[in-house]
Amino acid sequence: MLFEPTEEHRLLRQMVADFVKREVEPQAEEYDQKQALNVPLLRRAAELGLLGLTVPAEHGGAGMDAVAAVIVHHELSKSDPGFCLGYLAHAMLFVNNFYFASNQEQKGRYLEKVISGEWIGGMGMTEPGHGTDVLGMKTVAVKKGDNYVLNGSKTYITNGPEGHVFLVYAKCNDAITAFIVDRDCPGFSTSKPIKKMGMRASTMSELIFEDCVIPAQNLIGVEGKGVHHMMRNLEIERLTLAAMSLGIADRCLTEMVRWSKERIAFGQAIHTFGQIQRYIAESYAMTEAARCLIYQTAKSVGPESRNRIGSDACKLFAAPVGKTVADYAMQTLGGAGYCVEYPIERFYRDAKLLEIGGGTVESHQKNITKDLVRMVD
Amino acid sequence: MKILVTVKRVTDYERKVKISPDGLSLVTEGMNFVPNPFDEIAVEEALRLQKAHGGEVVVISIGHKDASKEIRQALAMGADRGIHVIAEELDPDAVARLLMKIVEEEKPELVIMGKQATDDDANQAGQLLAGYLGWPQATFASKVEGLDSEAEKAQTPGVVIAGGEATVIREIDGGLETLKLKLPAIVTTDLRLNHPRFASLPGIMKAKKKPIKEVPVASFGVDITPKVRNVKYAEPPARKAGVKVADVAELVNKLKTEAKVI
Repeated sequence: MLFEPTEEHRLLRQMVADFVKREVEPQAEEYDQKQALNVPLLRRAAELGLLGLTVPAEHGGAGMDAVAAVIVHHELSKSDPGFCLGYLAHAMLFVNNFYFASNQEQKGRYLEKVISGEWIGGMGMTEPGHGTDVLGMKTVAVKKGDNYVLNGSKTYITNGPEGHVFLVYAKCNDAITAFIVDRDCPGFSTSKPIKKMGMRASTMSELIFEDCVIPAQNLIGVEGKGVHHMMRNLEIERLTLAAMSLGIADRCLTEMVRWSKERIAFGQAIHTFGQIQRYIAESYAMTEAARCLIYQTAKSVGPESRNRIGSDACKLFAAPVGKTVADYAMQTLGGAGYCVEYPIERFYRDAKLLEIGGGTVESHQKNITKDLVRMVD
Repeated sequence: MKILVTVKRVTDYERKVKISPDGLSLVTEGMNFVPNPFDEIAVEEALRLQKAHGGEVVVISIGHKDASKEIRQALAMGADRGIHVIAEELDPDAVARLLMKIVEEEKPELVIMGKQATDDDANQAGQLLAGYLGWPQATFASKVEGLDSEAEKAQTPGVVIAGGEATVIREIDGGLETLKLKLPAIVTTDLRLNHPRFASLPGIMKAKKKPIKEVPVASFGVDITPKVRNVKYAEPPARKAGVKVADVAELVNKLKTEAKVI
């Protein structure tokens, strides 16, 4: 009951699992190889109500909580972490972030378009010179009449190539401020897609601002107060990224166990060998530990309830679990695991991203220690 | 038009079934349960007919107290309300006679049921219910255009209702048969009638406010003593390993003398 606190959570998991089996799994390998986001599939997810997962019902969403967000990312990543990352950049980094930070007029202009999937969204925080050191960002915004003028660039932005709209952080009088940037704003462009090791079913690029003019009504919240929504949204982002590692670990464990039952060496199924048992048993134990930590923490993350240390702990713990279990699965499958014909190598490549994106493990170590030093007398 | 649809909770068909040590029952502990897939097709057909003709879709499950989950899933797909008759495992005849009581009270124009449940594959309840009610029946309803057709993409119902009649295409050996039934009638669904929809998130959120009436089985005054007794369950025999043959001549010889197929 820990993982499905209500009937709605149970039905949600069932629905996403059915959707994954029927529509996500069959296309996963193809889009990994194409290195493209499956936009029609993202719009299918919109038809099922998944893009407005955390937006209240009166604004056209499902009004569900962080546990529900974890369930969706967990189930999608059992099949296609790359697609899930594109979904996360849209539904969590743009839609969820935008909804809780924007005003009524802005909601009226954007919400329907992004919940329906007509427009694809993304979020711009990292810069070529500033990753973990996010507060040192160099992109600047200057108010000129009824507009803001942005200069600078963002990089590694998921959904950059496809996105119609981005939530962008820039410094206004040296204080971080959030803006909405439409693709057709003068002076805005995106680079060619950046090729990457894994997560290839989503794309990323730079966002480039060259005297980019955006209307003043696209300021989100108050000038200079962007750090507040940024830090709030980082919690659900880290939690759902951790859920992706959990999905990867679950799938890799299943593949590993199946293989160990079928593969015969020296006249017996390989699960009878102690060396393989270590891979299987340790994978199981660490996956279960990640599951308990993530779902337990999810209950305390929401727009009004903060748990930074918890969400950092989830990702710090789960990301290496996803990577390690994928590695153990590859070792168990041996040559087959290394070949593209089997899905393990794809999960192995995808798993590494979670130790870097949405916060490196080093940034989680920094945050957790900082919080503990403050909390412990 | 009021449509009754039945939904049975069955063990997940993707998991391996285990037999109890005494061979008299199946082990249900720790099993995952899902709605009978044929029943999901029945719910989908009812929802499409409701969209075309209006009215109400009522979902009934007779069985374990946890079967309310399968009713809730049908409500999340879009059905209006549920009736849950809480009972232990029953045989198809008892199910049909309980359904008859519900039909007499609810007075639907159409009852849509899965052609069979994937657990016991009895394929009897729909036919028995039609017999008890004296209603016309069309079993194994299918879609003539197929599941990749434009009609299916447009979510067109396979069952056509007009002028107090239902036209149903059913799969028979070697072809398709078209039946016209006077309403009220019973239809049971085959695999190729439709692709059931997913329960959407708004559907899931609405489902929690929809009513499910719980009725104890004793209140119907129906004798549910089983007429069929399960004597024994056994696993299918394990497949034996094949043999290697040296050449074509040996293969032909074995096919003639051992397999006796040529």
